[in-house]
Amino acid sequence: MSLLRISPLACSSLLLLISPASAFCFGSADENSEARTKSAELWNAQVAPLLQEHCWSCHGEETQESDLRLDTVAGIARGGKAGPPVIPGKPSESLLLLTVKHADPTLKMPPEDKLSEEQITVLENWIAGGAQHPDGAIVISEPAPHFDIKEAREWWSFRPLQDPSAVLADDGSGIDQILNGLLQERGMTRNPVADKVTLLRRAHYSLTGIPPTPAELQAFLDDESPDALQTVIDRLLESQQYGERWGRHWLDVARYADSNGLDENIAHGNAWRYRNYVIQSFQHDRPFHQFLTEQLAGDLLVSSETEEKRKAELLIATGFLSLGPKVLAEGDERKLLLDIIDEQMDTIGRSMLGLTIGCARCHDHKFDPISQADYYAMSGIFQSTRTMESLARIAKWHENPIDTAQDRTAREQHQAKLDALQQTIDQTVKTASEKAGSQEPLADDKLPADVQETLKTLRQQHTELTDQLPQLPTAMGVAEADITPSRLLARGNHLAPGRVIPRSIPVVFDASRSFEVPEDRSGRLALARWITGNTNPLTPRVIVNRVWRWHFGRGIVSTTDNFGKLGEKPVSPELLDWLAVRFVQSGWSLKALHRLIMTSETWQSSAADHPRNEELDPENQYFWRWDLRRMEAEIIRDSILAVTGSLDATMGTSLLHVDNRKFLFDHTSKDTTNYDSQLRSVYLPVIRNNIYDAMALFDCTDGAVPNGNRGSSTVASQALFMMNSQLIINASRKHAELLLQQELSDQQRVELLIRRTLSRPARANEVQQLLSAIPQLEQQFQQESPVTEDSVLSAWTVLCQTLLMSNEFLYVR
Amino acid sequence: MIPSGFPLTRRQQLKSAAVGFGGLAFAALSHQQAAADTGMPLQHHAVQAKRVIFMFMKGGPSQVDTFDYKPQLQKDHGKPLPFEKPRIQFAPTNNLLGSPWRFRPRGESGIPVSELFPHVAECIDDICLLNSCHGTNAAHGGAALKLHTGSDNFVRPSVGAWVSYGLGTENQNLPSFVTICPTLAHGGLNNWGSAFLPAQHQGIPLGVASQPATAANVRYISNDQYSTATQRSQLDLLRQFNAGSEQQLPQESDLEARIRTWELAFRMQSEMPRLQDLSSESESIHKSYGLDEEITADFGRQCLMARRFAEAGVRFIQVTHSDTKVQWDQHGDLRNGHTKNAKEVDKPIAGLLKDLKQRGLLEDTLVVWGGEFGRTPTAQGTSDGRDHNPEGFTMWMAGGGVRGGQRYGATDVYGYYAEQNPMHIHDVHATLLHLMGLNHEQLTYRHAGRDFRLTDVAGKVHPGVFS
Repeated sequence: MSLLRISPLACSSLLLLISPASAFCFGSADENSEARTKSAELWNAQVAPLLQEHCWSCHGEETQESDLRLDTVAGIARGGKAGPPVIPGKPSESLLLLTVKHADPTLKMPPEDKLSEEQITVLENWIAGGAQHPDGAIVISEPAPHFDIKEAREWWSFRPLQDPSAVLADDGSGIDQILNGLLQERGMTRNPVADKVTLLRRAHYSLTGIPPTPAELQAFLDDESPDALQTVIDRLLESQQYGERWGRHWLDVARYADSNGLDENIAHGNAWRYRNYVIQSFQHDRPFHQFLTEQLAGDLLVSSETEEKRKAELLIATGFLSLGPKVLAEGDERKLLLDIIDEQMDTIGRSMLGLTIGCARCHDHKFDPISQADYYAMSGIFQSTRTMESLARIAKWHENPIDTAQDRTAREQHQAKLDALQQTIDQTVKTASEKAGSQEPLADDKLPADVQETLKTLRQQHTELTDQLPQLPTAMGVAEADITPSRLLARGNHLAPGRVIPRSIPVVFDASRSFEVPEDRSGRLALARWITGNTNPLTPRVIVNRVWRWHFGRGIVSTTDNFGKLGEKPVSPELLDWLAVRFVQSGWSLKALHRLIMTSETWQSSAADHPRNEELDPENQYFWRWDLRRMEAEIIRDSILAVTGSLDATMGTSLLHVDNRKFLFDHTSKDTTNYDSQLRSVYLPVIRNNIYDAMALFDCTDGAVPNGNRGSSTVASQALFMMNSQLIINASRKHAELLLQQELSDQQRVELLIRRTLSRPARANEVQQLLSAIPQLEQQFQQESPVTEDSVLSAWTVLCQTLLMSNEFLYVR
Repeated sequence: MIPSGFPLTRRQQLKSAAVGFGGLAFAALSHQQAAADTGMPLQHHAVQAKRVIFMFMKGGPSQVDTFDYKPQLQKDHGKPLPFEKPRIQFAPTNNLLGSPWRFRPRGESGIPVSELFPHVAECIDDICLLNSCHGTNAAHGGAALKLHTGSDNFVRPSVGAWVSYGLGTENQNLPSFVTICPTLAHGGLNNWGSAFLPAQHQGIPLGVASQPATAANVRYISNDQYSTATQRSQLDLLRQFNAGSEQQLPQESDLEARIRTWELAFRMQSEMPRLQDLSSESESIHKSYGLDEEITADFGRQCLMARRFAEAGVRFIQVTHSDTKVQWDQHGDLRNGHTKNAKEVDKPIAGLLKDLKQRGLLEDTLVVWGGEFGRTPTAQGTSDGRDHNPEGFTMWMAGGGVRGGQRYGATDVYGYYAEQNPMHIHDVHATLLHLMGLNHEQLTYRHAGRDFRLTDVAGKVHPGVFS
């Protein structure tokens, strides 16, 4: 049994950093003893008489209902069936206060006569002062976790980062050195570096998801300097397309969606603001620890100094916590709230820490060192956070106002126009009424015809202007709420609340219990600081592994979202830590990490076959080659639009066709979604329960749970889509028109088609192959009934489409 | 060898799957395993059912007006419910409301069936009524998700996807799971999705509930711009082009698989319309499914298509009875609403059961009927409506491995709560999988660090349902 002594006073986090191993911490000695003395005096003077009068008859020397005794130090410290009633220094998390305030419907004490406010304040002050008792300190014992903390901390992902840098180069070749060692041990060799044409397409695919144009290809082939690839990488990292490509990766992990899905599919009308925040964060290389902190606690980083635009950004970032699917028609409001919090914790656990914390909701985690108490300790942080505006069916999520002076001015100006128009209307009525001899304004139909006509126009203008009145913008996100004590729920059942668990992080990460939450704060900021702080090795490991996965198709740890016992172990812990250490040293710069990875020969190696390696390592676990991969859903569509000249490269806002909080799908089963846009796929609405099939068919995420490791299926319905969808056929026709407009021979057109579609020079034999197909296709179209208007255009459309269907286009090597 | 010929996945996905392409072979294996683990005799688990037809009645049909006869409710009509209503109700209700419909014993089994279902009543000896079903969610969305996926608060694979994953497909040119005219509300595609299971197990929708069954087609199944001949030329050209560039690409099974999908899709383009074309069916068949009457034609068409898909080897076929309202959701206007709804489906369902039986298909086809919940025996509003009731309701099964002519389980005397042999939705799933030769505790998929099941950590097989 480990003992947890809770300091009566908050201690500075600075002190904690210096001496993290200390089990206890103290404020200044004077302050401390003074408060203690006061608290002890309070016991004698007020607390004991109060308890004697109202509590001891059931919880005293004679009887101990629910095993609770409130008259001795030992009794208070041990607590009853519902756990210890008092947590010294923490009134907001003391069960005693909760019950005397009648704040918990399941446990109201005294059951009949509620204590007066003054009496409650007495108890509150006594606990806040450290709950001193003349017979000694109240020391709350915490049940020992179901695992051995020391042993648990030996698990590979929980150990501190190790830097094997001494023997390694400090650039991309460090990666090669580490992996070469592993390959050599197994008698394998890495594939040679791929040719330039391949590398260029790969770099574009990896960083922007838009294939290189013929001009970009030519420029790269012409650049014979050794830094040619470096130059390309730098150029791509600066592009907006980079933000869109890598922002989308994070959106997978953030289970981003523009609708709730689940039971009631209601529009997340403002989710796009979070999406664009993510894209811009990647584009501007926002330090990743800061990026995470903002998503967990951006609202708490706002101060009176923060300028409005930045404030809006910080509030938008917390949308991360609110985006999850919610059972909005759940009739049991308490269950709904706890389900939402569970979803938040599960998402944070998997996305940032690689831990399945959600597993500990109903019981201690079966495999990882997360106890049920740990779960409810973290849950308290989110129970003290406002995610929802209302829990009544159909529940509503909270949105933060994010208006700036510009928005307000725009609205005021518009309102002024409206007011002026109203005045004109009133004046017109008044004048006409007076003319007609009435002091009172007359109804329109009592006025002359020409005035009626004028008024009709004016009133119509007024209606139109009213409709156009700009709404002040809001964003999905969270805020601080009243501090709510978190109670351990037996088997996760909210109808069976047990002892109060102080807000904290899992004990395995904080054996000394140095994690402190200010009494009046939810603790989200402290949580974010811990998640991104230097005592936690999981976060940097998880993100560098994600980045590796998004480059190579498989992580160093293949289970990107699970670094626990049921996850896979890293194929090279050295490589993972080497990257993580460098990442942290670079100030958590993802762009620096890309440069590090992409300048390695490992990243640049060819996808070629190698019989011996394949025998020894068929899964390419040791990254001896580049794995050939099908493009992801968004990239297929984006590439099709790009190569056929159909892409609109501007940044999107909301493409939702319904207003915020309105049903996207109701009982009518009518599908009014519309994806008819030329913007990049990241801007298309993600409608849970009804994901756009161009995305769903090619394994995009469902937007409901974090997913850092998309699958890649090969199914016939993909073929149907590529063969028959308007998206593909229209883009192919556009491409055909574009080619036919050029003053070129057919042979030159085919060569251009190949360069544009496959980002490489054409080969003579395939040019012949495609050329020879044209007459036959034209003939077929001429014979079709009804006869196709333009058989040449149709034949070229088929040709363009065929290349989009080719393996070489759909796969990246 | 790839028994589930329809789609192919990457090696990586295979590896994470407990069974991969095991297909039918897996079913046999799981038997033995199940027999060893549970001590059940192997023959008890001998699989008769090879496929499922699930008839989903959207909105929640009232059990006490259809298949759960409650004489006491008729007697106590208008009186207050003498016990507590559930802690969480969808909406408040009033006193007991007797059924406006008469029941009479039907078939050799003499099971009372409401006059709402005169045709289905003729098949009652083949039907096992599950009178003690209960769920956990009182709203349509949560309850529909629970029924289809076993979870109302997470996105999980649907029953059909699990069955497809466990058993594969019997047909090389068709998907293993189709859903005809599904609803887009209340869970939408999650109700036929594959969630984390490999994508080939997701249901392929034909149309949506807002469309008539005559317009129900697989998306992108046809091309109105190229003729079949042109498309053939295109695929030939594609094959040549791929062959040319193949020398440049590494040899990957995925690439070969991709090349095969074009041909598969091409065949599917002719196979699907052939199956959906009902003109080759005799006039008497059309009549028995009610295709000749306006009120039954739409659902009749769905049912007849279901039989044709079943014959063609599709593993899991769902038909949905839902209009652009919530169909069976009679909070008010119960008399008219349920009369119309029952009329629309009664004859088609009976037509399907009889047709399957006559063809010998009922023996190895499991037919399941039900909504996302039932309705309260107490009245809502103007005494002509009932509220949602997940506490006790009726589903039924017929065919493959099911003992017909019985009422399994029971609700209380008024039909409010499941009381005797209560069958939670998880139990319905466990029992359904068992009938398909799958042990619900062993049909698992490793995802996000743990093994997932359709029945989560619950579910109990109810052998009383079996023949």
